[in-house]
Amino acid sequence: MESSSGSKVLMSGNEAIARGALEAGICFCASYPGTPSTEIAAALMKSSQNHDIYVEWSVNEKVALEACVAASWAGIPALCSMKSLGLNVAADFLLNVNLSGTGAGGVVLVVCDDPRGHSSSNEQDSRFYAKAAYLPLLEPSTCQQAKDVISIALALSQKHRIPVIVRSTTRLSHSRSVVKLREIASATCTTSEELANAPYNVPNPHLKHQELGMKLKEIAQDFEKSKLNSVSGGENTDTLIIASGVAFRYTKEAVDLLNIPSVQIVNLLTSHPLPQKDVVDWIKNRQKVLFVEEVDPFIEDGVLAIAAELHLDEIPTFSGKRNGVVPFFGELDTNTVMDALRSIQGIPQKHQDEQDLNTLKLARQMLIPRRLTFCAGCTHRNVYWALGRVKRRIKEGLIVTGDIGCYSLGVFYNEAMNTMQAMGSGIGTASGLGQLERFGLKQKVVTVAGDSTFFHACLPGLVNAKHKNANMTFLILDNSTTAMTGFQPNPGTSKQRLGNTVVSIESIVRAIEPSHFEIINAVDIDAMIETIHKAVEIDGLKVILVNSVCRLEEQRLGKTHEEFSRVVVDINLCKGENCRICTDQFSCLAIGWNENLKKAEVIENLCIRCGACIPVCPHDAIKGAEP
Amino acid sequence: MKNQYNILIAGVGGQGNLVCGCVLAEAALQQGLTPTTGETFGASRRGGTVLTHLRLDADDLGPLIPREQLDLLLGLEPLESLRAAVDLATSRTTAIISMTKIETPESIAGKVKYPEITEIKRSLRAICGKVYSLDPGRIFAETGTRRALNAYMLGAMVTSGVTSLTEEHILRAIQTTLKEWDLNRVAFEAGKKDFRSLVDL
Ligand code: SF4
Ligand code: SF4
Repeated sequence: MESSSGSKVLMSGNEAIARGALEAGICFCASYPGTPSTEIAAALMKSSQNHDIYVEWSVNEKVALEACVAASWAGIPALCSMKSLGLNVAADFLLNVNLSGTGAGGVVLVVCDDPRGHSSSNEQDSRFYAKAAYLPLLEPSTCQQAKDVISIALALSQKHRIPVIVRSTTRLSHSRSVVKLREIASATCTTSEELANAPYNVPNPHLKHQELGMKLKEIAQDFEKSKLNSVSGGENTDTLIIASGVAFRYTKEAVDLLNIPSVQIVNLLTSHPLPQKDVVDWIKNRQKVLFVEEVDPFIEDGVLAIAAELHLDEIPTFSGKRNGVVPFFGELDTNTVMDALRSIQGIPQKHQDEQDLNTLKLARQMLIPRRLTFCAGCTHRNVYWALGRVKRRIKEGLIVTGDIGCYSLGVFYNEAMNTMQAMGSGIGTASGLGQLERFGLKQKVVTVAGDSTFFHACLPGLVNAKHKNANMTFLILDNSTTAMTGFQPNPGTSKQRLGNTVVSIESIVRAIEPSHFEIINAVDIDAMIETIHKAVEIDGLKVILVNSVCRLEEQRLGKTHEEFSRVVVDINLCKGENCRICTDQFSCLAIGWNENLKKAEVIENLCIRCGACIPVCPHDAIKGAEP
Repeated sequence: MKNQYNILIAGVGGQGNLVCGCVLAEAALQQGLTPTTGETFGASRRGGTVLTHLRLDADDLGPLIPREQLDLLLGLEPLESLRAAVDLATSRTTAIISMTKIETPESIAGKVKYPEITEIKRSLRAICGKVYSLDPGRIFAETGTRRALNAYMLGAMVTSGVTSLTEEHILRAIQTTLKEWDLNRVAFEAGKKDFRSLVDL
């Protein structure tokens, strides 16, 4: 990040975006962690030790964007990074401030989409926000472009006083390649004398809308004159490919591997607004046009709308996600682009050798899955185990709603979690379910959320539940870190960055005055079962703060468990194959099966000696070893 | 188009797969090439499958290796190596694999059986052009840790001579990218030696 101008270094797309921010002179960054965007703000946070920039992990994406826009109003250039789903949270503000306008400082909004949902619960294409909000959107393809585009976006924002969106995807954000650096901006930032003029939309939002529409037209014309989009490949060919983002790189390789160099490729950086005149020049009088873009037919639809203005005989055959030549779901790669090209160019599919297919089939049969589970000793497992036991005691049954964090894995753990959508939607849905007794709902309602999610999106739901007296139990799994995305501190974390203050979850909950409140320790499974059971049976809003531990965070901080006594299985007491509760149901990673003895065993080098499994064994076979 | 050389590092979260990719990419960069790597994150810390794609001189090609284009499969774990081979390897592929297995949560719990190593080897041989199986057990025992597996595998890789990356550049990249130079140096030499004894057989 700190290498000097002119040097060529290996950088991930996210690091390149962060470096681009430094080169562009950005002095303010606010973000909420979310894969695949996290490393942008993380890298800038590291750089803030050497440069005079302010970087924060905000409580959520909306607050992050609001903070960044406010900085721009006061003349400070700002960058706001988030994942796809984060933009949904920030969208309410975005679709207002696009009209009000950002300030002289300028705001770059980086959104990282996650095609295929590698680390997300959907695979949304966030580019539609650019359309909804009438905002320019740039899509870099390479790490170099990812860096360079930030200065361009900032200048554009400063000129037109609107946020400029930069869209990345997982394969750009998390790939590394060689980037040539420029000088880091040396000028220091100072706030302007006055805040931006009248940043609000009333009384005539429609006129602001008109004004914004005009800005967007002007920007489209600027894009036409710019050199931001490039055309490569053969000349005067029948076939044109319009590709954006990392998909452009797949396209280039697909064309190379199929050896069809005469095809022309447009690398479109300015996905919104489209450079209308250029688009007409590109597509006019071609026979075929293929669109290659990640997730939705965004550019495709834009180009089709422009094509409607052409003469009939000038209109090519369009292929892409609309006609199914490119799959409309999932992530693209070079092979999918090759398949699309084969299909439109009439190149036969490669014949697969029978014997090879058979070999692969046999190999596949051997592959056992390597599923994600909670870490050894993870306290989330204990909570779900306890919930499972409570469920058995309550004849009406339990509904457990949840949301996003490491604890989402609860949906895979004995179906302990029944629902899982957006940040904070566990408590929102529970507060709805908590009203349904009047219509006959029998089950008791329980919801879980982690500490970072609690601050991010649970507060309105919690207040609503209290205000409406929803009948439900809220478990806050507080492990004091944002573990899922790499241990970013949140307001509840005990150890804070310099200048930040701890905000106590306990005090917030007590202030809301639930009908019942308890604090419990997630390592003690027996106590948890009793406490949760008791709470579930009481009427009204019950809150249990579950003091939890992230074992990865412990490991990262160098904590060892040597001082605790070993946990072992007494093979004389273990019932073996007839039982298997600890391996098959509780499933701590550190409990294995001894094939020779046909008994359970604790795997020394994985076990962190938390002792949580001791009460899990109904036959008292698991115990602390004598010291 | 330039001739591409594509390396896939296959392993399990926590094995240092990503840093291994960084070492190779750094070595390639120092040799004047333009590498690109693609990394899988997220699940990586939690014991899932981790793949690092490395294209030694890619310019701006995509980070993911297309089917049938894999030159070297550097396997840190047998089951994950086979999984990767099924997706990407062909007779063009040389595989250099550590045969020390890491059981899955389900196989530890005795719910499924981890496949026999001899079966994995046989299957790899049927899919890949060449397969070298290594046993880092000795170096794990000697150093008392599995942390130096990457350096060990890189030592083996250099000795195989399959890539254009030189020993000098890889060693320098290990020194700048990995911690624990002494440990890694020892493991690197062990990897070289073990590979040589494989070929001598
Ligand atoms: S729960 Fe107890 S008795 Fe049952 S298999 Fe495990 S150790 Fe043996
Ligand atoms: S003590 Fe029991 S629950 Fe805790 S890590 Fe060891 S085996 Fe797992």
